[in-house]
Amino acid sequence: MSLAQVLFMGLLQGASELFPVSSLGHAVIVPTLLHWSFKQSDPSFVPFLVLLHLGTATALLVLYRTQWVAIIRGFFTAAIRGQMQTDTERLAMLLLVGTIPAAVLGVFLESRIKSLFASPYVAAGFLVANGFLMLGFEVLRRRAERRAAPAAESRHDQEAHFGSAERISFLAAAIVGACQAFAFLPGISRSGVTIGGGLLAGLRHEEAARFSFLLATPVILGAGLVEVPGLFQGGVPVGEYLAAALLAGIAAYASARFLLRYFRSGRLDPYGWYCIAAGLASLALLHFGL
Amino acid sequence: MTRSSSLAVALGVLGVVFIVIAALYAVGVLQIATSSATGPHYKHAILFAVLAVTSFVGANFARPKAAT
Repeated sequence: MSLAQVLFMGLLQGASELFPVSSLGHAVIVPTLLHWSFKQSDPSFVPFLVLLHLGTATALLVLYRTQWVAIIRGFFTAAIRGQMQTDTERLAMLLLVGTIPAAVLGVFLESRIKSLFASPYVAAGFLVANGFLMLGFEVLRRRAERRAAPAAESRHDQEAHFGSAERISFLAAAIVGACQAFAFLPGISRSGVTIGGGLLAGLRHEEAARFSFLLATPVILGAGLVEVPGLFQGGVPVGEYLAAALLAGIAAYASARFLLRYFRSGRLDPYGWYCIAAGLASLALLHFGL
Repeated sequence: MTRSSSLAVALGVLGVVFIVIAALYAVGVLQIATSSATGPHYKHAILFAVLAVTSFVGANFARPKAAT
């Protein structure tokens, strides 16, 4: 990959990782549409992805630095005491319960699933499916809103009837966490399915996004850290990759800030429509070889 | 969460089993569900270590507490 391609991929990964539009799907489709010749199945591509993920995870850690300190402290306090007494302690345990299924499925299934579906056609197809999934989440959510707040006049009133991340049930946290495994399919968004799962579990949009980002941090960080030894193989242009990781981190930080603000009143629909349009356009471009 | 001594013991035993599995993956003795059939598998070892910690935490939560 040239330096420009490395930096572009860093920016693309960072920007699309937290938006509910599938970073993996974009990473598979966009280089193909641009007729870039590098192969993502190449072993030298792994260290690149590792650093991009570490950049994104670092951005999330910086964004939630105060919360993570409280969550880690809360985890140890509750674990030693054998009892949860505060909301932060409960959130720490919810994140543990939500992370375990994703970690188990990730270790045993991720590489097999990714290699099975790493085709731009499949990724574009799943991107369309991801779009319908996002729209479906919002249809179900609107139904829940009509039941919970039939007389609500504004989005603020509607959202007020739903809960914060700390109030999600442990079963729901485990299911939402397990749903992250769908993101091994290129085109299906990790943040999309976790935000959607959070909405179905009764969270406010902003809280569903916060829970999704908190849940993503250990998974992305863990997946990156275990591959770090691969960075020290010969022939890896660490300097260029680090620059891309920095770009990915900056883009991820800006994306997360934007999304948390957007979801105070916004919904998943625009991202759903975008995925359907982008997926269909990609399929057409791939089919006609443009 | 339901508190019971037997559940706490079961989770404690499960934690020990996970530690053993983690150690076996780390030294390369265990090769089940791995991408290559040789060498240590640190990703699997870390996963089972985390599962062990989770089991011990669960055991502590399940342990009946003395009334204060």
